[in-house]
Amino acid sequence: MRRLSGYLFATPYLILFSAFLVAPLLYGLAVSLFRWDLLTTRPPTFVAAGNYAEAVADPYFRKALAVTLEFVALATPTTVALALLLAALLESLRRQTLYRAAFFVPTMLTISVAGILWRWFFNTDFGLLNSGLARFGVSVPWLTDTRFAMPSIVLMTLWWTVGGPTVILLAGLQNIPRQFLEAASIDGAGGFTRFRTITLPLLRPVLLFVVAMNVIGAFQVFGQTFIVTRGGPELATRVLVQYIYETAFNNYRMGYSAAMSWLLFAVIALVTAVLLGLLRER
Amino acid sequence: MARRLPLALLIALLMCGCGRKPDSRTELRFWNGFTGPDGVTMLRLVQRFNRENPDVRVLMQRMDWATYYNKLYVAGIGHRAPEVFVLQTHAVPRFARARFIRTVDDLIGPRGGLLPSQFDPNIWQTDTIDNRQYGIPLDIWVMGMYYNRRLFRSADLIDASGRPVPPANRGRFVDAARRMTDRKAGTWGFAFTNFESNVYSVMLQFGGSLFSPDGTRCTLNSPENVAALQLCVDLIWKERVAAPPENFDSWIGFRQGRVGMVWEGIYMLADLESSSDLEYAGAPTPTLGSRPAVWSGSHNLCLRADLSPRQVQAAWRFIRFLSDNSLDWAAGGQIPARRDLRALPRFKSMTVQAEFARQVPYAVPMPRVPFAFELQSEFDLAVERALRRTVTPQQALDAATRNVDRVMKQ
Repeated sequence: MRRLSGYLFATPYLILFSAFLVAPLLYGLAVSLFRWDLLTTRPPTFVAAGNYAEAVADPYFRKALAVTLEFVALATPTTVALALLLAALLESLRRQTLYRAAFFVPTMLTISVAGILWRWFFNTDFGLLNSGLARFGVSVPWLTDTRFAMPSIVLMTLWWTVGGPTVILLAGLQNIPRQFLEAASIDGAGGFTRFRTITLPLLRPVLLFVVAMNVIGAFQVFGQTFIVTRGGPELATRVLVQYIYETAFNNYRMGYSAAMSWLLFAVIALVTAVLLGLLRER
Repeated sequence: MARRLPLALLIALLMCGCGRKPDSRTELRFWNGFTGPDGVTMLRLVQRFNRENPDVRVLMQRMDWATYYNKLYVAGIGHRAPEVFVLQTHAVPRFARARFIRTVDDLIGPRGGLLPSQFDPNIWQTDTIDNRQYGIPLDIWVMGMYYNRRLFRSADLIDASGRPVPPANRGRFVDAARRMTDRKAGTWGFAFTNFESNVYSVMLQFGGSLFSPDGTRCTLNSPENVAALQLCVDLIWKERVAAPPENFDSWIGFRQGRVGMVWEGIYMLADLESSSDLEYAGAPTPTLGSRPAVWSGSHNLCLRADLSPRQVQAAWRFIRFLSDNSLDWAAGGQIPARRDLRALPRFKSMTVQAEFARQVPYAVPMPRVPFAFELQSEFDLAVERALRRTVTPQQALDAATRNVDRVMKQ
C-alpha cells in the first residue's frame, strides 16, 4: 500500500514528463530517420541513417560543431573559475546580501534584454566598451572580426550567467565546517593552502554539479549568438543549435534537423560522461 | 462564502459570454509581419474597412517577419491558417507548393474589380506560378538610393541652382563617393547596408543572373557576377570610397550623417522620417553596369486554400479595399503595386516614393525558388567573405555555386 501511494504521488509528474519530454524526444528520434520537408506535398520518406550521414559530411554542420566546442571550451572554465573566485570573495565578506544580489541580478534578465544591451556595448563606433578604451587609443572590433566575435560572446555570457554558479558555490562554501579550516590554521597552513587542501576537496560534489550543468548549458548556447551576432561574421559564431533552428524553421527540413539534434545530444552525453568520470575519481 | 465568491464570479462571467448574441458577421483573420510603423498604417486601413463593411469583421494580427512564416506554416498544417495573409515575394512559391494558397484567377477580371492591366507585368508575374495567380501584389519594395543633401552640397555636387545632383552612372557615382569620403573624419561616400539587395542589383546591372534560363543550374559564379562583385570589393579596397564592412554600422552611419549615399529599400523611409536633423533625399539607384536593374519584392495578399464561398466573397472585398486604398498604405513609406494609382497627383507628391517608383519597370525580385532561404544564406555568406577579402570574389562565388547546386539536387 505504501509503495503504491508513492507511485500515485509521482503519477501526475510522470504523465507530464512523458507527454512533454519523453514522447517528443522519441518522436524526434523517429523523425530523424525520415526525409521530411515541411513545405511540400511530398510525404515523408524513410531514409534510415541518411540524415546522420549527411550531417557528418555537411561542412556547415562541422563548422557549427567546431564553433560550439570553441564556446564550451572558452565559456565553461572561465565561468566556473570566476564563479569560484567570486564565491570565495563573497564568503569572506561580512555583509554579502548586496554583492550577492549584484552578481545575481544579470542572471534574471531575459536573453533578449541582455543581448540587445551587449550589442550596444560592443558597437565598434560608439559602444560603451570602445568609448572607454578610446582613452588609450584602442578600438576593438568586438563583433565584426572573426577572431574577436566568439571571445566577445563569452565575455557577455560570463556577465550574464556567472551569478547562478556563484550562488551555488557560495552555499557549498558555507557548508564547509569551520573546524577543519581552524585546525589547519593552527597547524600553520596559509590561506591558499587551506583553500587548496581543505576547501576544494570538500567542495568537489558541488563543483561537479556546477561544471556538469555549465557544460550542458554551454553546448546548448543559442540566445546570445542569435541576438548579438546572428551567427556572424562569416559564420564565426553560428553555433549548432542555431544551425539546427535554421534548418528546421527557415528551411523546413525537419528530418535533418532532428538528426542533428540527436547528434548534439550524443556529443553532450559523451562529453558530460567523460567530465564526470574525470572529476569524480580519486 | 468568501472562498466561493471567485467561483461564482467566474460562472457569472461565463454565462454572460454564453448569452451574447451570435455574431452574423463574417470573420476574417488577417495575418502579417508589419510590426513597425507600417503596422499602424495597416491597422488604420483595417479599422476603416470594418466601419465601411458592417457585415465583415477583420481581425488583424501582427508578428515579426522572423517568426511569422513558422507560425503561419504551423497554423496551415493544423488547418487553422488565417483567411487572409501577407506573403513576401520569396515565400510565395513555397506556400503555393504546399497548397496553402487559394488561386485568385476566378476572382480577377472586370467583375471582380481588379485587372492585371492595373499592375506592371513584371510585378504581377511574381505571383504567377504555372499560369495561375496566387495573390495580389500590394506594394513594391524597390531598392533606391538615399543620399545626404548636406554632404552633397559640401562636396559641390550641385547644379546651377544649388540643388544636389544624385549620380546616375558608374563614373559619376564613384566620383561623387570620392568627393564625399574623408577617411580621417570617418565620413564615407558610400556604404553597403544590405548585401543581398546591394550586390544583387549590381550583378543584374552587369547582366548576371543567379540561375540558368531553364532554372536547372546555379550561375552565381558567372563572369558577369564575379565582375560585379569585384567592382563592389574595389569600391571598398581600391577606390576606398565605401566603408569597410567590418567595424562600421552602415545604416546608423548614414543616419548620423557620416555616409553620403546608401542603397536601401523604400521600407527604410519611415526610419529616416523619424530622424529630425538629417537632410536626406531619394533617387533611383545609379547604374554601375551596362543596363538599369534593381532588386525588389512585394508584399502579396493571399487567401487560404479552403475558404467557403461566403468567406471568399468577404476576403476578396477586403483585398480589393486594400489594393484600392494602397495610396494610404504608400503614405506610410511604401510604393503601391497599382500602376493606375501611382499615376495620380497624390502619389507624385510623395517625393521619395515617386523617385524610387521610377525604377519599377526594371525592378527584379530575387529568383523564385523553393529553397529561397538557403540561396539567401549562401549569397550573403559569399558576399560577406568577398567584401571582407577573406577570399577572392571568384572563390567566394564558386563555393556558393557548389553549395546551391547541392541544395538543388536534394
